Amino acid sequence: MRRLPAGLISLAAGAVAWELIGCVADVPFFPPLTTVLVRLAAMVAGGQIVASLADSLVNLVIGFVISLALGLVTGVAMGRYRKVEAALGIYVYALLTAPSLVFAPIFFSLLGEGRGSIIAVVVMYAVFVIVINTASATQGVPAHLVEMARSYGASEAQVLLRVMLPAAAPMIMAGVRLGVGRAVTGMINGEMFIAVVGLGRIVTQAGGRFDGASVLAVLVVIIVVALGAVALVQAVDRRITRWVPQTSRGDQ
Amino acid sequence: MIEIRGLSKSFVGQDGATVDALRGVDLDVGDNEFVTVLGPSGCGKTTLLKAIAGLAPWNEGDIVIDGAPVRGPGSDRAVVFQNFALLPWATVLDNVAFGLKMRGVARAEREERARSLIAMVGLSGFEAKRPGELSGGMQQRVGIARALAVQPRVLLMDEPFGAVDEQTRRLLQEELLSIWEEHRLTVVFITHSMEEAVLLGDRVVLMSARPGRIAEIVPVSQKRPRSPDVGAAERAEITGYLWNRLREMHQERR
Repeated sequence: MRRLPAGLISLAAGAVAWELIGCVADVPFFPPLTTVLVRLAAMVAGGQIVASLADSLVNLVIGFVISLALGLVTGVAMGRYRKVEAALGIYVYALLTAPSLVFAPIFFSLLGEGRGSIIAVVVMYAVFVIVINTASATQGVPAHLVEMARSYGASEAQVLLRVMLPAAAPMIMAGVRLGVGRAVTGMINGEMFIAVVGLGRIVTQAGGRFDGASVLAVLVVIIVVALGAVALVQAVDRRITRWVPQTSRGDQ
Repeated sequence: MIEIRGLSKSFVGQDGATVDALRGVDLDVGDNEFVTVLGPSGCGKTTLLKAIAGLAPWNEGDIVIDGAPVRGPGSDRAVVFQNFALLPWATVLDNVAFGLKMRGVARAEREERARSLIAMVGLSGFEAKRPGELSGGMQQRVGIARALAVQPRVLLMDEPFGAVDEQTRRLLQEELLSIWEEHRLTVVFITHSMEEAVLLGDRVVLMSARPGRIAEIVPVSQKRPRSPDVGAAERAEITGYLWNRLREMHQERR
C-alpha cells in the first residue's frame, strides 16, 4: 500500500471533525462541512463567487505589490543607513503592533468608499512585517562581503543590488511569506469593513442575514486563496534561495 | 612602489580607552617585491593592509602607490581575504568575474578572462559550482583568481591561508609562489606563521603590538624560485630568529 501524504490525512481529519462538530452542535453559525460545500457549489453556480473572487484578487495583488515595493525599499534603507532606521524605526514598530483594522475607517474617510481604501488596508496589514524582516536581513549581511565588493570598486548601488540584496534574500523572503498571509487577512477585513466589493462583502452581507453556511463557504474560498498565495511565494523563494545549503534552510 | 610614511591610526575601544592600532609606520615596498608582514595578534597588521587597500581610514600619515596617494579602493590593487569573502549564491565563474563586472568589463570578455584564471588556479571543471560545494582550499583559489582577474599591480593578502588545513596550506603556498614567479607583481602578505613569512617573502616585516609599529625588517636572501621542500634548513635559521623576537614581545605583554 502506498503511504498517504501527511497533509492529505490532516485535511481529511479536519473535514471529519468539522462535519461531526457541525452535526452535534447544530447551531446556525457552524453548519456541517457538507452543508457548507453544497452552499458553496450553489454560490459558484450563481456566479456570485467568481466575480467577487476576481475583485478580491485584484485588491490583493495591487496591495501586495505595493507592500512588497515599499517594504523592500524602506527595509533596505533602514538596514543600511542608521539615520533612516532612527527616523523610521519607531513608526514601523508602532504600526506593526497596532491593530491594522483600526486604520480602515481612516482610509474610508480619506480615500472614500472604493478600491483605494481596501488596498490601503491590505498595505497596512502586509508592509510592516516585510519592512522589519528586510531591515534585519540587510543588517545581517556579513560585513566582509560588503568590504570585498568595495575593494573591487563597487559603487553604493552595486553594493546594494549585487551584494546586500542577494545576501539578504533568504531572510527577506521569510518576511514576504508572512506578508502575503497578512495581505490576505487585510484584504478580507478591508472588504468586510468597506463592504462594496469582493469576498469580504459577501461575508458581511451573509453575516447580516445570519447565514452561517454562506459565511463559511466564502471562508473556504479565502483559505484556498491564502494557501495559493503562500505556495506561489514559496515557489519564488525556492528559486531565489536555491544556493542556501539544505541544512541551514529554516523551512525544511 | 608603495610608500608608507608616518602612518598612525587609533580608535576608542569598548572600555573607552584609546588604542593605538598603528603608530608611525614607515615602509617602502618595491615593484614586484614580495613582502610578508608578521606579528602577534593585535599588532595592527590587518589594519595596515586595509589602509593600503583603501578600505579603512587612518589618522595621520600617507600611503602613496606609484606616486598617487591612496584615497580609497583602486583598480591598481586587489585584496585576497582570510575568510575568502566569496558570494555564496554566485558560481565560481561569477565570483572570479566579480571584480571585472564591477569595473564594467563586458560579459564575454570577463567570462573569458575568468575562465583562464580558473584554469590557472587548477579549478577547470568547477566553473558552475557554488562556493558551498568547494573545500576551503578551493574557495581560496577562487579568491586568488578573482583578485588576479582584475590585473592588479599590487596584490594585498590578509592571512589568506590562515583558514585552511596544513596540507592545503603547503599546496597553496607552492601555487602562489609559481604564480608570482610567472606574473611578477607586488605582494603584501599578512600572516601569523613564521615559516610562511620566511618561505614567501623577500623581506619579513616584523610588527609589535600596542602600539602597532614595525619592530624590524628582516631580509630573506634565499634565492628563488623557492619551494617548501628545498632549503628548509636555511630558512629555519631566520624562522628561529623571528621566533626569539616574537617570544620577547609576548613576554613583555604578559
